[in-house]
Amino acid sequence: MSTLSNEERQALCDMFERLLRDRASLESLRSVVAQPEKYDRSVWKELAELGLLSLMINEESDGIGGDAQDLQAIMEIAGRVLFPSPFLSTAVFAVELLQACKNDQLKQECLSDIAAGETIFAVSKGSSTGSWLDETKLSASKSSDTWSLNGVASYVVDAPRADEILVCANTSSGLRMFCVSASDADVQILETDDPSICLGNVSFEGVHAEILDDLDEAAIAHALNTTLVGFAAHQAGATHAIFEQTVEYLKTRYQFGRPIGSYQALKHMAADLLIEVESAITVSREAAAALANGKPNAAQLVSLAAFACADSFRDVSAAAIQLHGGIAYTMEHDAHLFWRHARAGQWLFGTSDQFREQYLQTWEDAA
Amino acid sequence: MTKLVHDGTPEGIHAAVTGWLELNWTTEAERGANASDEGMRAWLTKVRDAGLATPSWPEEWFGLGISARKAGIIEKAFRARKAHGWGRDRFHLGAISVFKMGSEELKREVLPDLLAGPICCLLYSEPNAGSDLAGVRTRAEQDGDEFVVNGQKVWTSNAVEADYGMLLARTNWDVPKHKGLTFFLFPMRQDGVEIRPINQITGESEFNEVFITDARVPARYAIGEVSEGWKSFQTAIAYERLIMAQGGTERRGRQNEPTTPLLIDLARRKNRIDDTSLRQKIAQAIAYRQLNSLNNKRAKAEIAENGASSLMSLGKLAMSRIQHGDARVAAEVLGPEALLSGTPNPDAANASFDAAKAYMNSIGGGTDQIQRNIISERILGLPKDDAVDRDLPFKDVKTG
Ligand SMILES: Cc1cc2nc3c(=O)[nH]c(=O)nc-3n(C[C@H](O)[C@H](O)[C@H](O)COP(=O)(O)OP(=O)(O)OC[C@H]3O[C@@H](n4cnc5c(N)ncnc54)[C@H](O)[C@@H]3O)c2cc1C
Repeated sequence: MSTLSNEERQALCDMFERLLRDRASLESLRSVVAQPEKYDRSVWKELAELGLLSLMINEESDGIGGDAQDLQAIMEIAGRVLFPSPFLSTAVFAVELLQACKNDQLKQECLSDIAAGETIFAVSKGSSTGSWLDETKLSASKSSDTWSLNGVASYVVDAPRADEILVCANTSSGLRMFCVSASDADVQILETDDPSICLGNVSFEGVHAEILDDLDEAAIAHALNTTLVGFAAHQAGATHAIFEQTVEYLKTRYQFGRPIGSYQALKHMAADLLIEVESAITVSREAAAALANGKPNAAQLVSLAAFACADSFRDVSAAAIQLHGGIAYTMEHDAHLFWRHARAGQWLFGTSDQFREQYLQTWEDAA
Repeated sequence: MTKLVHDGTPEGIHAAVTGWLELNWTTEAERGANASDEGMRAWLTKVRDAGLATPSWPEEWFGLGISARKAGIIEKAFRARKAHGWGRDRFHLGAISVFKMGSEELKREVLPDLLAGPICCLLYSEPNAGSDLAGVRTRAEQDGDEFVVNGQKVWTSNAVEADYGMLLARTNWDVPKHKGLTFFLFPMRQDGVEIRPINQITGESEFNEVFITDARVPARYAIGEVSEGWKSFQTAIAYERLIMAQGGTERRGRQNEPTTPLLIDLARRKNRIDDTSLRQKIAQAIAYRQLNSLNNKRAKAEIAENGASSLMSLGKLAMSRIQHGDARVAAEVLGPEALLSGTPNPDAANASFDAAKAYMNSIGGGTDQIQRNIISERILGLPKDDAVDRDLPFKDVKTG
C-alpha cells in the first residue's frame, strides 16, 4: 500500500507533468537521444531533487514509499512524451530488488545513490533474448567467499549507461541475483531502431559479483511485476497520446473539400482504435491496483497488461501513420517515434506471445 | 407494503436479502412460480413489494433507494438461490423507460403491473427502417384521447410473449424525420395486432413480424411528449446497448467471469489444451473478455464519480469482437467435429449456435457500423456524415 494520499499522488503527477512540459517535451526528444547516453542528465538531477527517483524507495530508507499505483500514474505521463530515461531500470526495478535483499550496506549505499541521481542501474535476466520469460544463460560460481559470473547477457536495457548491473545467474541452489560494477564487465553498445531506448550486450568473464542475499525467485518476480506495470502504463500513456494527435489530425486535415475525419472508413478505424486505447489505460491501472493491494489475481492482471498494452500500442501507433498519410512517412513527424517505440516494446521484457501464455496459465492454475 | 428491512451496509443488505429469501423462496414458492403464470405473478409481486425487483429505485417507486453497487448484492443473492425477479431496474427496458421518462400519472398506472410480470417487446425496426430508425413509417393518429396505429414492424423479439411493446411511431409527417416521432407504451394483446414468428439462423424463433391494423393506444401512454419521442427513444436504446455491452445477448449459462473460462474447459475436454497455437488464441479470447469487463468496471466507477463515462458506449462494439471471436476459437478447438450438429453432438451444436448468435450482438440494437458512427461522432467528435434527408419534411424522404 502506498504512503501517499490521493492528493499527494496528484500533486506529484502535476509536478512531473510540469517538469516534462518544460524540460522533456516531445520536441526535445530527438536532440536528447542523439547524445551518447540518450537521456538528459540535468533532467535526471531535477528528478532527484523533486524526490521522484525515490518514489519507490520505502520511507525507512528516506524514500517516498510509493506503490504500483503511484508508479502507474507517473509512467502514464512519461509515456505521453516517450520520456527517454533509465527510470524504470534504476528507480523501479533496481530499487524493488535491492529493497527485497538483506545486504544492508549495499542496499543503503545504492538506494541513497539512486535517490540522489548519482547511480544508474541496468537489470537483466541474463537471457540470450533480453526476455524475462526466457531462461538465464549466465552462471555463477563461488570460490572461498567470492562469487564470479560467466556468460553473456543479451539485449540488456540501459546497460551502456549503467554504473551498476543487477543480473540473474544460475547457481547450484537455483536462480540468484547478483550486483556487478558495470566497469568490470564488457558492455557492447547496440545500435537500436527505436532511438528512445538504450540497449547493450554484457559479457562476463569471471567477473567478481556480490550476491543479493535472501532474494528468491518470488521476490524477483514481484520486482519484475512492478516494473511490468510501469512499462505497461508507459505504453498506455504513449498509445493515448498518439491516438489523440491522430484524431486531431482527422478533424483538421481536409481532402475533397471536407475533413478526412468525416469519411466513414477512417471514422470506423478510429472507433475501433479507441477500444484499444481505453483498454490499455484500464488494464494498466487495474494491474497496478491489484499489485498495490496484494490481490490474488495480481499476477494474472500484470501479464494481461503486459501483452494488451504492448499490442494496443503496436496497433494504434501503426494505424496512426496510415491515418496521417505521407506526412507521417517523414522523419520530422513524431508518429514514427511512437511506432518505433511500440515495436521495441514487443521485445524488451518479453514477447506478447510469452505473456499471453503466462496469462493463460494463471487461468488454468486458478481452476 | 412489506419492504425489506436492512441497515444500508453491504453486510446488512446481504444478511437481510439472504434471510428474506430463506423465508420466502421456499420449495413451495419455487414450485408455484414455475407451475403457472398466476404463480409466477404472485411471486414477482412479492419481490416487487419487498423492493427487491428494483432496489436502486427510490423507496416511493418500488425500490430501496440504494446504490447500483449495493443492488448488485441483492442480484447475487437471488442468482445464488436461482430465484426469479431480480434486476428489473437493469434489464426490464419497458419498466425502465416508463420509470425514467413517463409521466407521473403513467408511472402510477402501469409500473405496478409491469414489475409484476409482463414483458415488453421493442417495436422499433420496420422493413424500411433498420439502422435508420428515425425513418419509421408506422403511423399513429390521434382520435380523442387515443391514438390509432397502423403499420408493420419486424425483427420484434419476444412479441408473442409480450403484453406491451415500446412503439416508435410517426405522428407528424410534415416535419423532418427526427421531429415527428412519438414513443408509446403499446398494449399488444388487442385486435389489430397480428404476430408472425420468423425462423432465425440459430434455429430459434424469438423474433417476429408484427402487423398493426387500426390498433389503439391511450394518449397518456406516450413516453415523453407527443412528436418528441426521438429523445425518449434515444434514452431507451442506450439502456439496451448497455445490457448488450455486458454480454446480455449470449447463450444462457455463459457468465461474464466464470472461474474456468469455457474455452479452457472445452480445450481440456477435447485434449487440445497443449496445442501452442490454440493456446495463444484461447488466451487472447479470454483477454478480450476480461478487458471488456474491466472497462465496464472503470465506466461504473467514473459514473459514480462524475455522473457519466464515455467508456459506456464502447462495450457493445467490444462485445461483438468477443462473441464472434470466442465462437471462432471454439470451432478451432473442435476441429472437424465442428461440422456436426444435433443432440448427439452438444459441443458442436453449441459452437455453431454461438457463432450464429454472435450476430445478435453485432446487428441487433444498432449494428457494429452504427456503433462505430456513434463512437466516432459523439465521443471522438469527428464530423457527421452529410445526411441528405436530415432537414426534409418526412413525407418527401426517399425510401427503398
Ligand atoms: C437477434 C435480433 C433481434 C432483434 N430484435 C429486435 C427487436 O426486438 N425490436 C426491433 O425493433 N428490432 C430488433 N432487431 C432489429 C435490429 O435492430 C436491426 O436489424 C438493426 O438495427 C439493423 O437494421 P436492418 O436489419 O434493417 O439493417 P440495415 O440498416 O439495412 O443495414 C444493412 C447493413 O448496412 C449497414 N449500414 C446501415 N446504415 C449504415 C450507415 N449509416 N453507416 C454504415 N453502415 C450502415 C449496416 O451496418 C448493415 O451492415 C433485432 C435484430 C436481431 C439480429
